[in-house]
Amino acid sequence: MFAKLESYPAALLELVAEANNAARAIPPLFPLSANVAVNPFLGQAGEPLAVTAARLARVGGVRITPSRAHWARKLDAGEIAETDLLDALSAIDGRFTAPSLQDIKAALEDEAAAPNAIPTVAELAADVSGIDWPALIEDRIGAWAAGHFDQGQALWQQVNTGGAFNAWRDFASRDLTPEIQGLKGFCSFVSKTNRSHWRAIGRASEKLGVTTGAAPTAFHRWLMTLGGWAQYGRYLLWQAELDGEQESTVTELLAVRMVFDQALFNLYEDQISARWSEAVAAHQTPVTPTGDIVIDAVLQDAAERAEQRVLADRLLRATPRTVRGRPDVQAVFCIDVRSEVFRRALESQDENIETIGFAGFFGLASAHKAAGSDVIERRGPVLLNPGVTTQAAEPEKTNLDRRYAARAKRAWGRFKLAAVSSFAFVEATGPLYAGKLVRDALGLGGVAKVDPAPQLDQKIDLQTRVGMANSVLTAMSLTDNFARIVMLTGHGADVVNNPHESALHCGACGGYTGDVNARLLAGLLNDPEVQLGLRKEGTEIPADTVFLPAMHHTTTDSVTLYEYDLPQGDSTAGLAQLKEWLATAGKLARAERAKRLPRATGAGTIQQRARDWAETRPEWGLAGCRAFVAAPRYRTGGANLSGQAFLHNYDWKRDEGFGVLELIMTAPVVVASWISLQYYGSTVAPALFGGGNKLLHNVVGGIGVLEGNNGAPRPGLPWQSVHDGNGLQHDPLRLSVIIEAPREAMSEILARHPGIRELFDNGWLHLIAMDDKGALAWRYSGDLKWTPFRGQPDVACAIAAE
Amino acid sequence: MAYLFLPLVSPLVLLVAAFYAARHPGRRPGLVPKLTEAAAFAAFATTVVVATLLEVKGPGTSALIGLFGVGLSVRLDAVSAVMLVLVSFIGWIVLRYSKTYMDGEARQGAFTSWMSATLAAVLFLVMSGNLLQLFVAWTLTSLSLNRLLLFYPERATAQRAAHKKAIVARLSEGALAGAVILLIAETGTTDIETILASVEANWLTMAAALLIAMSAALASAQFPVHGWLTEVMEAPTPVSALLHAGVINAGGFLLIRFADVMLLAPGVMALLVMLGGFTALFGGLVMLTQPAVKTSLAWSTIAQMAFMVMQCGLALFPLALLHIVAHSLYKAHAFLSSGEAVRNVAAIRRPGPIAVPSARNVLQAFAAAIVIYGLVGIILGFDEKSIQAIALGVILIFGVAYLLAQGFADAAPRELMQRTAIYALVTSVSYFALQVVALSLTDGSLPPTPAPGPLEWALIILALVSFGCVAVAQATFPLWASHPAAAGLRVHLTNGLYANAIFDKLLDGWSRRPAA
Repeated sequence: MFAKLESYPAALLELVAEANNAARAIPPLFPLSANVAVNPFLGQAGEPLAVTAARLARVGGVRITPSRAHWARKLDAGEIAETDLLDALSAIDGRFTAPSLQDIKAALEDEAAAPNAIPTVAELAADVSGIDWPALIEDRIGAWAAGHFDQGQALWQQVNTGGAFNAWRDFASRDLTPEIQGLKGFCSFVSKTNRSHWRAIGRASEKLGVTTGAAPTAFHRWLMTLGGWAQYGRYLLWQAELDGEQESTVTELLAVRMVFDQALFNLYEDQISARWSEAVAAHQTPVTPTGDIVIDAVLQDAAERAEQRVLADRLLRATPRTVRGRPDVQAVFCIDVRSEVFRRALESQDENIETIGFAGFFGLASAHKAAGSDVIERRGPVLLNPGVTTQAAEPEKTNLDRRYAARAKRAWGRFKLAAVSSFAFVEATGPLYAGKLVRDALGLGGVAKVDPAPQLDQKIDLQTRVGMANSVLTAMSLTDNFARIVMLTGHGADVVNNPHESALHCGACGGYTGDVNARLLAGLLNDPEVQLGLRKEGTEIPADTVFLPAMHHTTTDSVTLYEYDLPQGDSTAGLAQLKEWLATAGKLARAERAKRLPRATGAGTIQQRARDWAETRPEWGLAGCRAFVAAPRYRTGGANLSGQAFLHNYDWKRDEGFGVLELIMTAPVVVASWISLQYYGSTVAPALFGGGNKLLHNVVGGIGVLEGNNGAPRPGLPWQSVHDGNGLQHDPLRLSVIIEAPREAMSEILARHPGIRELFDNGWLHLIAMDDKGALAWRYSGDLKWTPFRGQPDVACAIAAE
Repeated sequence: MAYLFLPLVSPLVLLVAAFYAARHPGRRPGLVPKLTEAAAFAAFATTVVVATLLEVKGPGTSALIGLFGVGLSVRLDAVSAVMLVLVSFIGWIVLRYSKTYMDGEARQGAFTSWMSATLAAVLFLVMSGNLLQLFVAWTLTSLSLNRLLLFYPERATAQRAAHKKAIVARLSEGALAGAVILLIAETGTTDIETILASVEANWLTMAAALLIAMSAALASAQFPVHGWLTEVMEAPTPVSALLHAGVINAGGFLLIRFADVMLLAPGVMALLVMLGGFTALFGGLVMLTQPAVKTSLAWSTIAQMAFMVMQCGLALFPLALLHIVAHSLYKAHAFLSSGEAVRNVAAIRRPGPIAVPSARNVLQAFAAAIVIYGLVGIILGFDEKSIQAIALGVILIFGVAYLLAQGFADAAPRELMQRTAIYALVTSVSYFALQVVALSLTDGSLPPTPAPGPLEWALIILALVSFGCVAVAQATFPLWASHPAAAGLRVHLTNGLYANAIFDKLLDGWSRRPAA
C-alpha cells in the first residue's frame, strides 16, 4: 500500500494521512450476529468531553450530554448537591474558562440551543434547489452498500471485487436514479473518476478547496453522514488491525461520499460557492468548546461525583459478609452487572455460599467452531486475538448428519426465496404457517438444543494447559480453599425474534453466550493431569472438588448446569442442594428485576418474555451500569448495588508484581468502559449513536438494522433498550472504577499504558482507590496525580461519632 | 336465514373496540390492548362459526339492512367465508402481537384503534352483499390504512410512501366506482348475487370488467405502481403484517368475487395474464437482489400478488383463492418474525459452502421434476383438470426443480440429494392435494375454468416459456451471476427498473419540505 503511495504528490499524501485519521475518529459497528458494545467516543478518547462535544456538534450536529431539564430535575431532587458542582468546577480542565456557580444555575433555566453541523455541499445544494440531496445520497449509498456488505440475505449477491470504491463505481455508473432526480450526467461523471480512491479524494478535495487544515473535521463530517456504513467499515479495519493486515473500506466510503458532493458542487457552483467557502473556513478553525458546552461538561462531572458519594455511602454502611472455613459452593460469575443481582440472591440462600466475579470469557479467548459449523466464532473480548482454538466435539457421524440437515434446510431456504420456486413454495406450504402463527403467538416454541461440550485443540500440550489453568486461577484470586463445587457460570440471554440478541449476551465473550468458555475452563480444570501439574506449581486442588460449568440465563434468571460434562465417576453430592439454592435465588432475582420491567406483574411473568416474539424489552441488559469495583467480595457483599456495578474479585495482597491488576485495568475495565459509554451515547445522542426505534427495524445484510426502508444501519442500542416509554432506564453516567490497590501500583500501570491512561485523564472513566478499610479514599485527578476523595459529609461525621 | 347476519358481528365487535381505543389514544392505555385482542379473537371465533354454518345450511345473501339497495347485506359463500376466517385470524394474531410490541409508544391507543378499524373495514368488504357496501368498505380500508402508514407522521420517507399509496388508492377507487355504476346501470340492482347470476356479455359488462381489473391491479401493487408497497416499512411491523396478509388481498378478492363478470371479457382476462405474469417475474427477480429482510418480503408480496392476478386471468379462481390464503399466512408470519433474520443469515454460512449445480445437474433436475409431476398427476388424475391448471402445475414444478437441482449438484453428498428429493416429493404432493381441496371447497361458488381459445393458448405458451426460462436461470444462477453484463442487469433490477424513481420524480417525492 505504501509502495503505491510513493508516487503521490506531497499534498495528496497529507490528505491521505488526514483521511486515515478521520477513519479512526469513528467507532466500529460490530455485525449483529456477534455484536459487542463499543465506545462511540473511541476516536475521541484523547480529548475531554467538552472538546468532543464541540467536535461532534460540528460534524454531527448533536449534543452529547443530557438536556438541561434533566440536570435541573436532579438538582431539585437533591441528587446533585451544590458541593458536587463546586468540586466539579474546581476540577475543570485549565484550558477552558471556568463558569461560575451562578452561570451554571442560570444556564439551567433554559435549554442550550441545538447545535448545527457545518453543512455539506449536499445540504447547501438542497437549500438552493429544494431537492433533498442529503437524503437522496443516503438512499443511493444505502442501496449500494447494503448489497455490497450483505452476508447472505439476498440470493443474488453483488459482485464485490476490487474494494468498496471500485464496486461502488461499477454500481453508480449504471444507477440511473440520481439522474432521474436531477443530478444530470452523474453516471458518466462517476465512470470518469479515478479508480484509486485516494486520487478521487484528492481530486474532490482540490475541486472543493478542502485544505489539509480543513480536512480533519471536513472528512469526519462526511463520514458521519454515512452512519453505520462507515462504522461497519471501521469494524473491518479493527479486525484487520488485530490480524496485522491493511484495510481501507472507511476511506473508500469517504471517497464515495465526496464524489457525490463534488458532482453536486459542479451542478450548483454558482449558487453555493460562497457559502461553501465559509463552511471550509469553519472547518479550518480549531475545535473549541462554547461556554454552554463547558457548563454541560461540569454538570456531567458533578452528577458522576454525586453518584460516587452515594456509592461510597452504600459500601460503608453495608455489613461485610464473609464465609468462614471451606465454602460449600464457590460460584464464579461474569463481572456483568446482571450477575450482581443474582449473586446477592444466591448468597442470601446460605452463609456457606461464596460468589466470585470474573470476566465471563474465563481467561480463555477462543476461536470456536460450533457443532456442524465451519464458521469461526471469536468468543473472547474483541480487544484480543483468540488465544486458543476449540470446537464442539462429537462423533463424525453425528457431525455429518447435523451438517446434512443444515444443508437441506439451507436448500429449502433458497427454494423459498428464488424467483420461480417461491410460488411453488407458497402454494404447497403456505397453509402450514397457520400453525406457526399460533405457535409463535402463544409462545410455544421449543428451546434450542445444547451443543456438545467444547474441546481444546488437541495440539495444545499439557504444559501449556497447566500454564493456562494456573494463570486463570491466579487472575481469579482463587488458588486455595477450593469448595467441593466450583460453579463456573457463563451467561446469555434467551430472546426470540430480536435482532439485537447478541447485545444481550456476554460482552467479554465477543457477543456470544458464555457457556462455551465456562465449559472449556471446567474441562481444563477437571482434567486430573492438569490438576497434577497445578499441584507441582503450588496450587492444590482437593480431590473432591469439581468444576461445574453452568450458564446464567439473564432474561429468566434460571441457571443451566452442564453436569453431564463432568468426568465419569464424579460423585455429585451437594448438587441437589445447589439446584435448590439456584431455583430460590432465581425467584428472588426475578422478583427484584420485575419491579423495573414494564408489564411484569410479578416474578412469574418474566419467563414468558423470553419466548414472546413481540417483546421489545425482554430484559434491561446492562442498562443502569455506573460502577466497576475490583476488590474482594467482602467489600461489596453486604451492599445492594441494584444491578448497577461490575464486580471483579481482586485481592492485591496476593498479587505479586501487580500483574493481575494490570490485566484488570487493561482488559475488563476497558470492556466495561465500552459498555458504559455505549449506553451513555445511545441515551444522550440517540440520533447519532442509538439503534433507533425497534418497531421500524429492518435487518439489512444480516449485519445491522435499518430504521424503516432505507439509509444506513443504526449503531448502538435501540431506544427501547434504554427507555421504558415513560423515562430513561439508563442514567447517562460515565463509569466509576473503584479498585482496592495501592495508588502507586495503579499509577505505574497507567504510565505504561497511555491508551488506558487517556481514558482516565480525560474523564471518560473515573478512577477511585479504595483503602484497606473498604472506604473510597483517593480520586485519580489525571496526570498520574491523586487527591483525597470527598465523601458524604454527614456519613463521615456519623462514622467519626461512632 | 338469520344466520346470514352473523358475520356482521365480527366487524362490529372490532368497531366497538376501535371506538373504545380511540378514547384512550395515548401511552399504556389501560385495558385497551387486552380488550382489543379479545375483540379480535371474538371476531375470529365468529367467522369460524359462520364457516361451519355455511357448511351446514348452505350459501346465501342476507336481507338488506337499509333502503333502495343502500345499506348492509352479507353475501355468504365459500369465497367470503374463506376470506372472513383468514382475515380475522390474521387480525387476531396481529393485534395480539401489537399488544406487547407497541407497549410504551406515545400513541399506542390510537394505533390500536386504527388497526381494529382497518380490520373491520376489510371484514365488511369481504362479506359485502351489495355493491355500495363493497365500495364504501374498499375506500374505508385504504383511508384507515393511510393513518397507520403515517403512524410516525414526521418521517419524510413515510410521507413519501403514503402519498404514493394514496394516489394509487384514489385511482383504484375511481375505477371501482366506475365499475359499480356500470354494473348498476346494466342490471338495475346493487345486489351482488343477482348481478353475478344475471350479467350478460355486452360492452357495458366488458367496460365494467376492465374497470374491475384496473382497480384490482392498482390495489395489488402491480407494475408500474408497485413502489409504495416496497417503502411502507416506515410503519411498525404489525402494520406491514396486516397490510401484506390482510389488506393487499383486496384486489384479488375483487377479481374472484366478480369472476362471473370477468369471464365475460376474455380480452381483459388476457391483460391480467400478461400484467400478472410480467409483474410476477419482475418482482421475483428484484426480490433476489434485495439485501434488507422486510424489503425483500415486500418484493415477494408484489410477485405473489402478481401470480395470483395471473391465476385469475387464466380463470383459475379457486387456485387464486388458495394462493391468497397460503400467501397471507406465510407472509404474516414472515413479517412478524423478521427479527430472526440475523440468526437466519448467520445459519446460512455454518454448514460450509453451497454445492453449485452444473448445467447438466439442472437438466437432470428438470427431468426428475417433470417425472414427479407426471406421477402425481396420474395418481390424482389429470383428466378432470383444465389445460390452464395443468400448465400452472408445470410452472410450479419448474420451481420444484430448483430444489432438486441443489441436491443433484456433483459436490452435494448423497444424503443431501435424498433429503432434497423427499422435500420435492412432499412439496409436489402437498401442492396437488391443496388444489383438490380448493376446488372442492369452492365448487358451486366459483365458475369453472372454460376451455382455452387461441388467445389463451398463446398466453399459456408464453407463460410457460418465460417462467421456464427464469426457472432455468435461477437454477444455473451461480454459473452466470458474476458476468459483467449480469452485474449491470442487477443494478437496474435492484432499483426495480426505476418505475418507482420516476413515480417519485413526477410527484416531487424528493423535494425538501419546509421543516414543520
